[in-house]
Amino acid sequence: MKFPMNGWFVALLCGTATAQTPYPPAPPTNLVAVDHGWDAATKIDLSWDLSADDAEQVRSYQVLKAVGRIGDVTIEPDFKPVESVDPGTAEFRVKDLKAQLKRWEVEQEYGDNEAIAALLADGSKSFKIGYVFQVVAMGKDGSRSATQTASPITPTMQIFDGSRFWFSVMTFIFCGAVIAFIYLARSGMPLKIRKIAGLDAVDEAVGRATEMGRSVMFIVGIQDMNDIQTIAGINILARVARTAAEYDAKIEVPTSRALVMATARETVQSAFLKAGRPEAYNEDLIYYVTDEQFGFVAYLQGMMVREKPAACFYMGSFFAESLILAETGNSIGAIQIAGTAQPAQLPFFVAACDYTLIGEEFFAASAYLTGSPEELGSLKGQDVGKLVVAAILIAGVLMSTMAAILGPDQGIGKSLVDAVKYLKDVILT
Amino acid sequence: MATAYTPGLTVTARTTHRVRRLLPISGDVLVKKGDTVASQDIVAETFMPGDITPVNIANILSLPPGDVAECMLKKEGDPVEAGEPIARTKGIFGLFKNTCTARVGGTLESISSVTGQVMIRGEPEPVSVRAYLSGDVMTVLPDEGVEIETDVSFVQGIFGVGGETYGRIVMACESHEQELTAELIKPVMKECIIVGGARMTGSAIERAREIGASAIVSGGMDDEDLRDFLGYDLGVAITGSEDVGITLIITEGFGDIAMAARTFKLLGSRAGADASVNGATQIRAGVMRPEILIPLTAEGRAKSPKSAPSDGQLVPGRPVRIIRDPYFGVLGTVGALPSEPQVLDSGSKARVLEVKLDSGDSVIIPRANVELIEG
Amino acid sequence: MTTIDPDTVKVILATDCGSTTTKAILIQFVDGQYRQTHRGEAPTSVEEPFADVTIGVINAVTEVAELADRKLVDADGRIIQPAKGNAGCDLYISTSSAGGGLQMLVAGVVRQMTAESAKRAALGAGAIVMDVIASNDERRPHDQIQRIRELRPDMILISGGTDGGTTTHVVQIAELIAPAKPQPRFGSDYRMPIIYAGNAKAASLIEDVFDDTVDLAIVENLRPVLERENLGPARDKIHDVFLEHVMAHAPGYDKLMSWVDAPIMPTPGAVGNILQTIAERQSINAVGVDIGGATTDVFSVFGGTFNRTVSANLGMSYSISNVCAEATMPNILRWVHFDMDERELRNRVKNKMIRPTTIPQTIEALVFEQAVAREALRLAYQQHKEFATTLKGVQQQRTVGDTFSQQTGGQTIVDSMKLDLIVGSGGVLSHAPRMHQTALMLIDAFQPEGITRLAKDSIFMMPHLGVLAQVHPKAAMEVFDRDCLIYLGTCVASVGPAKAGRTSFEYAITGDTLNESGEMCWGDLKLLALGQQETARITLTPARGVDVGGGPGKRVEQTVHGGTVGLVLDARGRPLVLGDAPEVERWVNALDLYPQMAAMV
Repeated sequence: MKFPMNGWFVALLCGTATAQTPYPPAPPTNLVAVDHGWDAATKIDLSWDLSADDAEQVRSYQVLKAVGRIGDVTIEPDFKPVESVDPGTAEFRVKDLKAQLKRWEVEQEYGDNEAIAALLADGSKSFKIGYVFQVVAMGKDGSRSATQTASPITPTMQIFDGSRFWFSVMTFIFCGAVIAFIYLARSGMPLKIRKIAGLDAVDEAVGRATEMGRSVMFIVGIQDMNDIQTIAGINILARVARTAAEYDAKIEVPTSRALVMATARETVQSAFLKAGRPEAYNEDLIYYVTDEQFGFVAYLQGMMVREKPAACFYMGSFFAESLILAETGNSIGAIQIAGTAQPAQLPFFVAACDYTLIGEEFFAASAYLTGSPEELGSLKGQDVGKLVVAAILIAGVLMSTMAAILGPDQGIGKSLVDAVKYLKDVILT
Repeated sequence: MATAYTPGLTVTARTTHRVRRLLPISGDVLVKKGDTVASQDIVAETFMPGDITPVNIANILSLPPGDVAECMLKKEGDPVEAGEPIARTKGIFGLFKNTCTARVGGTLESISSVTGQVMIRGEPEPVSVRAYLSGDVMTVLPDEGVEIETDVSFVQGIFGVGGETYGRIVMACESHEQELTAELIKPVMKECIIVGGARMTGSAIERAREIGASAIVSGGMDDEDLRDFLGYDLGVAITGSEDVGITLIITEGFGDIAMAARTFKLLGSRAGADASVNGATQIRAGVMRPEILIPLTAEGRAKSPKSAPSDGQLVPGRPVRIIRDPYFGVLGTVGALPSEPQVLDSGSKARVLEVKLDSGDSVIIPRANVELIEG
Repeated sequence: MTTIDPDTVKVILATDCGSTTTKAILIQFVDGQYRQTHRGEAPTSVEEPFADVTIGVINAVTEVAELADRKLVDADGRIIQPAKGNAGCDLYISTSSAGGGLQMLVAGVVRQMTAESAKRAALGAGAIVMDVIASNDERRPHDQIQRIRELRPDMILISGGTDGGTTTHVVQIAELIAPAKPQPRFGSDYRMPIIYAGNAKAASLIEDVFDDTVDLAIVENLRPVLERENLGPARDKIHDVFLEHVMAHAPGYDKLMSWVDAPIMPTPGAVGNILQTIAERQSINAVGVDIGGATTDVFSVFGGTFNRTVSANLGMSYSISNVCAEATMPNILRWVHFDMDERELRNRVKNKMIRPTTIPQTIEALVFEQAVAREALRLAYQQHKEFATTLKGVQQQRTVGDTFSQQTGGQTIVDSMKLDLIVGSGGVLSHAPRMHQTALMLIDAFQPEGITRLAKDSIFMMPHLGVLAQVHPKAAMEVFDRDCLIYLGTCVASVGPAKAGRTSFEYAITGDTLNESGEMCWGDLKLLALGQQETARITLTPARGVDVGGGPGKRVEQTVHGGTVGLVLDARGRPLVLGDAPEVERWVNALDLYPQMAAMV
């Protein structure tokens, strides 16, 4: 049973072997290695003429590299494969090369070589690498063609990295816009910022508390100082506290983190000082309650129902407590102003509060409030950046859509696909 | 109305002028009826209640306002000195006491248990009133002030800035049409009243201020120079209280305009005499014009006869000044007074008069646009 | 004062004692309706040497009597009442703004809330507000006291706190006022009247703060809750105190007060009163303006809410220089369609300031003066818009839909699109040589949108009618309709994205005398003749996005009234952006404002 099977198999194998004559494909010719321009000496461009049997026999071209020279010393190259490319391809960019080796690297790797040892003994410091490359045409049957070696070549470094061209354009646009707007703002050009009702209403809210003889309550979220939203909240607290000082109103700031309490105290104190009423500052009204999310909320709710503050501010990072706080505040008839960058909590605040700062507005608040040219200018400049990115995104989406409609494989569709690829891989990376 | 009434500015060589000098609040009058006073003598004085400074003890000592009264070291009516403690908390077991000191001196006026504030009233400030005009005290208004009267040469300006001042009249210009420039102002004119001719230039004003002149009187000035001098654009003609170091009076109006020859002659005739000048102008109900008062000496009284006070009526032959473009500043006499309103170039209907100009021509002018030259 | 039976009143005499002239008008019942028949005026006699207001009143009334050939004053120099045959009158009323009117100091806790309500109450009562003291007015208490000491108001209004609200702030303000011991303007023998209209709970504390050197009156809180104003009681009290104290101490007023059949009102208060009555009766939104030599008063009624502002330093003579300073010369000169030398003009402006009674003789001077008037009115209206707002400090109701359209409280209630009537008065408007000039001054300064009627007060009769409306509304309304206002015409203006040369709206008008249709391009101004008492039906078809009163792009069909000027179609765009001089000249020619000038060229 076993033998006849084997005999049949061998016969079959032999049959196929004789059907195709095993000879290697013709080698690629004219392999040229050129240093890649505008890079950090890491790339070399190879190009060659295709093998004469490219269409019939070649399965792929294998690119190999080796160190062929160190300094002035020629070394026997030890080729290692870099990558295989499809038949029909006549160029390849070798990346991740080095222009030079460090002394210890040379010692470690080539210390055995006499000429190198002499070089090391000489105290030479230049260990430039000369690379040599091979391109091998791999036959479909596994055979390899004769190889072509170019003379050793060293990648060189240029001042600018060409692949970062678009990055530099973007940087210039973004930074330029910021600088230009700061300059314009300083020269007195009025920069229009969309009215943020929530910040304009600070006077109104604090005024209400003053007239009604009640307090102003300010919550800086439930996160610690490392959260950017807490910092934005503290910024707004400075303004609210200053208004409260001017109106001679009581401002109460319960916090759920000890560090936030300390920061809030400093902020409020300096706000009172700026308003010229340092004696009216009472640090006992800025206190720590608990780190526990719902313990904190329960306390706040109780306090709001008992003391009925006439103005409530929620500025910072909030989670499940947003609606609990806002609803309680609404029920006691307070003017409420909220600001958070938590998208999930925004709808609750919008529905239950009088005014809400939405995401970006919350961070733009300090520029809006101070109106200083530096802050206004950078805000405007960032807007230009966002505008540019948005424009590119829209262009990309449109092009992809068009490509899908026209067929991505040919004609305009293909060029669109290439353009999108360029956008994605070159401009936006 | 058979006759037309129009206001005018007084320019007269001799008139009896009476000034009323009053204290802002009641006080002591220092002169008697019949006394003769010099312009810079003090005739009445008083003390204004001092400034009030509120101190919020409740905030400073972190106390409920109701507890402030218990912690006070001073009672209402007590004198306090700056830096003196006025309130102290009870502390804990007699320790950790907080003290509040007075920032200003004065008298503790009130303590509030609602707001926790105490009021400290500063020392009273003396206020005195000078005679302004050298003359005789005619009436004494007890506790309020006096009325002083004397015969003066009297010139009313149309507009001025700066308050009351005194000095000797010096003529800087040779004719009433000469512009008052900086070169004409000499250091010897310190503390004098400089009389110019036509427009006073901005540099002349600056120069006069530098040398320390008391006042400048001239025909006109430019709005721009006034703005540069004051540092702001004057909105309403209520002046007199600005602190600018020198009093300016214009007699005709703004722009390039010569002083009326009569005014210039009168001032020229009194050169060297001491005068009292007030630039205060108030053009509202209860109009006030700037004035130059030059008291007459006994011999001067004998020389110049008293002129009859004007009745302010427009009658043919009276001298008038045209006070609106296109003939602004031109002088003439009243000609015909047609009673029917006439249509002006502007299309409005108004009562007019004919003005015979010194050049011999005559022009038709709305009655509202002339003023009598009185005296 | 006796109760009045409106049916028996046949002859009404009314006087207005202004700061310079006293004006008297006679209203008679003729052919079944009340008409204003005669008028007269005389210089006001409050100041020395007369020092008795009734002398001026009698002089003015005597002039009316002579004209009407009716004996109104008896041998003792008293007005004869009631009417018998050809003598006397049935009703005598008066207003007064002599001696600078009613000057008040108001105080509140928060400047934008109770202090503003207090200011509204004072202005509405016809007062001039000298200053507003508030906890947050950015002055140190010391400076506030200093300011109170400097001012010499006729009375002080203190408000602050909602009912049950803050007491400390209110008492603090009272504690500033009490030691400052403000001195009243007239005489030292009467006690400063102070009206308290704040937190009811603080009233007793306020009483403790003041001693008997002041005359303290306590009325209902003018802002009981932040959501609602209750200005009535405070306003009435101001009127009472005005009569009891201020008037009683002004020379001759005690006599005048005994003559009148209705309380004497401050003139601006009376004007506000009549405007409010008109707006209410015809259910329209109206704006009234009175531009004087020193001040400009703007009154408005929008949706039944009355507001008044006084722009203290915007006027045409005493304050003309201030108008130029505030508006700046380029802004004034943009209305002038020929070249003028700026330095020369500046001097001319100052000369007008120091000689306020002069009138423009040349056409150039008139054009310039009317340019100044446009800016003065524009600035006054702007101030008015900023003051006439919804209440601040009110809790808002929101839905998620409001996310991007949140609005703060305190938005202006003045909406040019909803405005139905503009009434102008004051010398530069009433005495302009051509009514067309008045009409265009009003349009340029107020920039009405949609369809708006324009009128001027013929002889400044509104104060008289304001008082009359309180005792005899029927007579007041009849006279107002027939004799008081001169209707100039109607302005039709479009709002929208203006592009020069593009069509703004199309119109088709059908009426007895006027039948026309056509289209208006942006930048066009057109005058169509439509006489007084005439009406026409207008159909407006705006271009896309353009609003002529019905909303963007919506067609409007409405009846329009004519007037001495006619129907003005205005497609110059809003806000009005002025082009170069030739464009302004085109507009000037469209309304034939200055025919003598066109003749000169």
